[in-house]
Amino acid sequence: MDALLKRPLSPTRVLLSSLGMGVVLLLVFGASMLLGTADITLGQVLALVAGDGDVPEHVKLILLEVRLPRIALAALVGYALALGGVVFQAVLRNPLADPFILGVSSGAAFGAILGIALGFGFEFAVPTLSFAGALLTIFLLLALGARGIGTESSTILLTGVIINAFFTATIMFFVAVAADAKLHSMLFWLYGDLSQTNYGRLSMIAPVTLLASLVLYGFSRHLNLLTVGEDTARRLGMDVVRVKLVLLVIVSLMIGSVIAFSGLIGFVGLVVPHLARMAFGSDHRLLIPLAAMGGAIFLVAADTLARTLVAPSELPVGVISAFLGAPFFIYLLRTKGSQWNRS
Amino acid sequence: MEQKRIICLLVGLTMCAGARVSQCAAFTDDMGREVLLSQVPRRIVSLAPSVTEILYFLGLGDRVVGLTKFSSYPPEAAEKPKVGSYVNLNVEKIISLAPDLVIGTADGNRPAVVDFLEQAGVPVFILNPRDIRQVIDSLVVVGEVCGVRERAVARAEELLRRVDVIVAKTAGLDKPLVFLQVNSKPIMSANSNTFLNDLIRMAGGLNMVRDEPVTYPRISLEEVIRKEPDVILISSMERSGDFEEARRQWLKWTLIPAVKNDRVHLVDSDLIDRPSPRIVQGLEIVARYLHPDAGWKD
Repeated sequence: MDALLKRPLSPTRVLLSSLGMGVVLLLVFGASMLLGTADITLGQVLALVAGDGDVPEHVKLILLEVRLPRIALAALVGYALALGGVVFQAVLRNPLADPFILGVSSGAAFGAILGIALGFGFEFAVPTLSFAGALLTIFLLLALGARGIGTESSTILLTGVIINAFFTATIMFFVAVAADAKLHSMLFWLYGDLSQTNYGRLSMIAPVTLLASLVLYGFSRHLNLLTVGEDTARRLGMDVVRVKLVLLVIVSLMIGSVIAFSGLIGFVGLVVPHLARMAFGSDHRLLIPLAAMGGAIFLVAADTLARTLVAPSELPVGVISAFLGAPFFIYLLRTKGSQWNRS
Repeated sequence: MEQKRIICLLVGLTMCAGARVSQCAAFTDDMGREVLLSQVPRRIVSLAPSVTEILYFLGLGDRVVGLTKFSSYPPEAAEKPKVGSYVNLNVEKIISLAPDLVIGTADGNRPAVVDFLEQAGVPVFILNPRDIRQVIDSLVVVGEVCGVRERAVARAEELLRRVDVIVAKTAGLDKPLVFLQVNSKPIMSANSNTFLNDLIRMAGGLNMVRDEPVTYPRISLEEVIRKEPDVILISSMERSGDFEEARRQWLKWTLIPAVKNDRVHLVDSDLIDRPSPRIVQGLEIVARYLHPDAGWKD
């Protein structure tokens, strides 16, 4: 365990690994731009990037106004979920933790479902209510469960689980009494839905996500210490309670703002952090950027499949991510072990 | 099976013996089930909004003693006792209303509920129209069961005449490609297994997603841009809210012919996806949207 504290990690390695991952992300992003129901050639994409004028108008429209914002949203959402998963797993010292475990997702879902039930629009009202629901959950968590956070994580975890149960019941109530016409919108929100995105939405969540990831990266040494043990961290002079609270609030705000636009996309936030740990070890200075980009790659790939597998209709992205991700994860788990307790 | 039939028949005969013979009858419903009535039904429970509309259309509103939650038409139906929503029925409430006939639909009403009511001695008649002409036929069937056959036939013929006018008027015209949106987020449409498809076809249009394998497929924005529909119809539950927003969303994509030519329309979904008499009104509205220059009289 002590090796984790002392192991040197050169900034060059972080930079190079991140660059490598960035290249993979770009490749997947590019491939995703090429795939879809409309036949668009590589030449047309390159011509558009190069700024040539002879690209047909509808191709331009599909690439720039339909595919690009959607893929960018998938990347941002995957990035935020995986990042949130890494931080939550370290702070709560629980391999089962994901960004939804404290109930922020159910609060957000409650807000969104309420908005849909009341017939509000998807452009502003539903995301706003959803974010308000996430804020309400964070407030409840801090008011009810934060007391025992310094000594053990089970109090806040249990509080989260109970808040989750309560909001889930409320959501089920709305789903049960909803008119048929609203059921589809509700269910798709609960499965996660990345379609019909625009740059306005991206401009709201991109700054939040990038800012949060910078701040969280600044905490990567604290996360390493927390992984080793809270007593060790305390002995080394860390204000454990404050750090944990700050991290939980930052992640929850980031996740709340992201899922207000994407709906609940499960699996990414739980599994990508584990995959990244298997591949790159558990030093958070390396893990944070790589897991976050890994999440982006994973979700862009999953959403591309969701768009193309049964084209011209679409599948919910959450179906693809768990259906393909779970067997892949089991395979890695059997061949490499969880890497959870290894430093 | 055979034995059961005979017993049914005997029970029927015994029931009939008590009532006036002329009004006793056995009917076969759309599911092939035998429904025995000892007298002309006076206390009817409707298990779907479309059934409610049919009953009121035939002038049988005063015989309706119970109906489902979303039976919003005609407005006076709202005052009748509710028996749950059509997918989630309250059997206890239905039985407590002491109906002598329950009319349901194959879509939505769960077979378990039908069986349960039957075992409780309540006759249940199930309708299952699959296209617009069958909807009109179902009026006659309900009229027969309720003892108002002549009135039902007359009203059905009147509806058929209106349908024939539309079909005749649009038959020779070019068929515009129609994208019918039934849900705004995610974007969903309806394939050829639906009333909506039948409606577009009879109104002289071509449903953009008619060949999709899924009945209500989720369709990407990209697909709509690529297929270039001539008309976009948005089936809306409410006149406001997210469907008005859905219309505004389309207006951004000016490359789609429907948008360019200002042919994105909202249509009241109660008029086009309920198997009720008003579907003919829906057909007339859709036909005017698909062929605005066909020389409509009104």
